[in-house]
Amino acid sequence: MLDPRQLTQLHRLFRTGAEQATLALSRWLDRPARITVERVEQLPLNQATDVLGDSESPIAACVMQLQGELQGQLILAFDDASGLGLTDLLLGHPLGTAESWGEIERSAAQETANIVGCAYLNALSRLAAGQGKELLPDPPHFVRDYPQALLQFALMNQATHGDVVFLTETRFHIDGSPVNWNLLLIPDTPSVERLRDWLPREAGPV
Amino acid sequence: MGELAVCQKGECLRTLLGSCLGVALYDRRLKLGGLVHVVLPQSPGPSELPGKYADTAIPELLRQMRLLARGEPLRTVAKLAGGANMFNSSGSLATIGEQNIKAVERQLEEWKIPVLARHLGGEQGRRMLLDSATGLVTVEIAGLEPTVL
Repeated sequence: MLDPRQLTQLHRLFRTGAEQATLALSRWLDRPARITVERVEQLPLNQATDVLGDSESPIAACVMQLQGELQGQLILAFDDASGLGLTDLLLGHPLGTAESWGEIERSAAQETANIVGCAYLNALSRLAAGQGKELLPDPPHFVRDYPQALLQFALMNQATHGDVVFLTETRFHIDGSPVNWNLLLIPDTPSVERLRDWLPREAGPV
Repeated sequence: MGELAVCQKGECLRTLLGSCLGVALYDRRLKLGGLVHVVLPQSPGPSELPGKYADTAIPELLRQMRLLARGEPLRTVAKLAGGANMFNSSGSLATIGEQNIKAVERQLEEWKIPVLARHLGGEQGRRMLLDSATGLVTVEIAGLEPTVL
């Protein structure tokens, strides 16, 4: 378990990652974007599975398995309208043009996840570079499923070790308006412990 | 995750499943049912969430169903859903669904509860609903027609 002070320090760490991801996303979309860290928390399992909402409708998500020093999952999730809107933004089409998850739409979502995820992880990696840490994401895997089912699977490793889980949640603004995208970092249990080890040297004073 | 509940008199229970396993138990005569969301095959010791582990979930669900039955003997059957391997993952997580299925089936065999239907595996999550009026279990997968067990 992480204490409140450690969670605050980690929030600062992840905020640096979000700042780098903001720059990368703005360049990729060619318009102002902002990514903010909403929460760095430990939650009971039942609350954690509701982080993406308890919608009856499926959502789309690009899942990157993390290898190296930090293992687990990085998930870029969006409801259908917001995710398909991403394709329209990238292709310069009027919003609402893309109507279903075809090959182009999936590819746009995966490439965006790749760009945002790598920028986020690279920033974390640089912060941890003094200790020779390496963060390696696998290529994004596209899924469309119920939000709670997605999170159950992502949280499974931590669930094997306890009933409280750690996750970070990040929200997005495009052109100054909030969009229903969500970037979740869900490390496995050994990685949560390693994050704790990063703090004394890499995070500033509270 | 790891929750369990019982129902009767036409009430319904539902849960969402990834690699976890949903176990629905039902007594047709009493029109009484229970649903548990099993996360892992084996408990490490006493837990505040008995529904989380296959070896504690089935006894606890039966205990709660007996309380609801108010002394009437139970004759239960089981229906199972879930156990997917999502995200195309490998390693121990890839087989957790399969381990859950084996552990639950072992428990049900010990309690001599027949399994009437299974909707297991694959790579997608499921929504599972138990109707205590009929004992029917409806399983939904995103983008597919619901299946009634």
